[in-house]
Amino acid sequence: MTDPFSLAAGWLTETVLLPALYAVGGMEWEEVAFGWALFACYGVAQVAVTFAVCLPLERWRPVERWPDQKAVWVDVLYTLLSRVGVLPLVTFVLFYQLQVGLNGWLSDHGWVPPTLERLVPALLGHHLLTFFLYAVILDFSEYWRHRLSHRFGWWWALHSLHHAQRQMTFWSDDRNHLLDDLIGFAWFTAVALLIGIPPMQFPLLVLLLRFLESLSHANARLSFGWLGERLLVSPRFHRSHHGVLAAGQQSANYGAILPWWDVLFGTADFDRAYVRTGDPSAEEALATGSYVQQQWAGLRRMARMAGWTGPRQAGGFKRGH
Amino acid sequence: MRLLLAFILPLALLAPMAGPARAGGLAIVLNSGDATLSVLDMAHETELRRVPVLREPHHVALSPDGADLLVGDAGANEMLFLDPRTGDIRRRVPMADPYHLAFSPNGKWLTVTGLARNQVDVYDAATMALAKRFPLSTMPSHVTYAPDSSMAYVTLQGTNRLAAIDLRHQVVSWTAEVGATPAGVIWLNGKLLVANMGSDHFAVVDPVDGRVEQRIHTGRGAHQLFLSPDRKTLWVNNRVDGTTVALDAATLATIHSYRVPGGPDCIDFAPDGKLWITQRFIQKVGVLDPATGALQSIPVGRSPHGIFLTGAR
Repeated sequence: MTDPFSLAAGWLTETVLLPALYAVGGMEWEEVAFGWALFACYGVAQVAVTFAVCLPLERWRPVERWPDQKAVWVDVLYTLLSRVGVLPLVTFVLFYQLQVGLNGWLSDHGWVPPTLERLVPALLGHHLLTFFLYAVILDFSEYWRHRLSHRFGWWWALHSLHHAQRQMTFWSDDRNHLLDDLIGFAWFTAVALLIGIPPMQFPLLVLLLRFLESLSHANARLSFGWLGERLLVSPRFHRSHHGVLAAGQQSANYGAILPWWDVLFGTADFDRAYVRTGDPSAEEALATGSYVQQQWAGLRRMARMAGWTGPRQAGGFKRGH
Repeated sequence: MRLLLAFILPLALLAPMAGPARAGGLAIVLNSGDATLSVLDMAHETELRRVPVLREPHHVALSPDGADLLVGDAGANEMLFLDPRTGDIRRRVPMADPYHLAFSPNGKWLTVTGLARNQVDVYDAATMALAKRFPLSTMPSHVTYAPDSSMAYVTLQGTNRLAAIDLRHQVVSWTAEVGATPAGVIWLNGKLLVANMGSDHFAVVDPVDGRVEQRIHTGRGAHQLFLSPDRKTLWVNNRVDGTTVALDAATLATIHSYRVPGGPDCIDFAPDGKLWITQRFIQKVGVLDPATGALQSIPVGRSPHGIFLTGAR
């Protein structure tokens, strides 16, 4: 049976994207267009499912209640730009030639990027198991990317945009600085060169993983229980990471989907629960500014942190007690 | 039922064909979007099974001795060697970005385009050793040969050019602009025909210097060209218009245009005269009967691209 996402992506490609690419002389991107359409269709489904599950949860058992939720609307914009595929498309276009050049240079020097299955031939034909292993490895890689983004001042300045939100909801997952997203894409590309990346053979699992990431930001009193908290990142667990005392260099609970890495590397904090979120040292524009204001404030903060403009700043860069 | 067919079919292949109203054999379809191969029963026009591969299989070529079916898995950087009778994978060989591939008519060379790496690799077909890598910008797409195997011609999708590679001296002889986003290319009657996907035509090109002599209108998004087994009909798939056009191979005059929705891409020809066409965006393979214009579609995997019919040879 043909899956509905592929059908929708095919329809979008055939009736909208291809004629548009043809009209503007961009037909060399036609293969990419279908991939992007598929990404966008999954993105729409992700947003819809997340909305349908998380909104009732947030209404039912909110951690915080706010007189108004103006700051949340910018996060909605971030989510739509990210999940429906505008930002990934821009990132892809920016990186495409770089990737081609790097891949070509590597292959000229005898490096054919392997796949996990070639490194572990026993995995051949076991797609479901392979997918899970890829998910674990990529989550591990994400843990370190995230942890390093808190470690370096200039990087934290960019990432602090994500932490500045005082009204954290399930929409906040994609609230990121564009440069932070670009670094994330480069990181992912590097991992892909080392072990390959899995094809989209299990779209529902991908959808589930992205859903869990959104859920972990929900403004909901939701714990997965003693054992569950140690198996999957819950809203309770991830909220500690966003707590006002955890913003900066020595935060906790960096895991995106699996808390295993935090337990393994000593950064897990299962004690604090349902704390206030935000970054007290961030300027107000990072918390409540418009999309453009937030992006600009992130750049300014990065310049200050790196010492490019005025004295190097360290404000908010140490974890409180 | 599928399992039953999978067991019965190899036996059926050995049995003599009685009154072949429909073509027998298998169709092997490369689902580039979900890393699988679909194995279809041509007689019943149904899918028998899916064979998992690694990442992104695009194109297929039969080895000169007919013993192996080569499938390029571009995303996985590996070439798969299949049993052409069953579609079973026999072995895998690491290879950089094998997108499109073709053996030279004399069987000496295998040329592989690396669309995502701006490179064209020429291998010694007997040993599969890399003879020469040609960095060619940008997006080397499809390849064909001169009948005497002296030259290989590669479309460069990103720069609107066609490149000619002298295989005897292993050098690029020339590159020439041929039209917007060239994709498919074939040799016909002493000329090169290049489908310009960013336009509505294919170009008739002089193989000596790449000069465009003529442009033949077929439809928007002219993507791939195929010559029928009897060499009388030229078939062109138009990706944007969703049509497959038949032309007289001798005169290049249009005979008929057939509606084939879903981004028609690769074609293989069945012994019963039908065309099996991959429909990229609707996850189907269309079986077109040119005599009646009837199109029967078979569901396969996501973004089906290359296709090979075992019963066609």
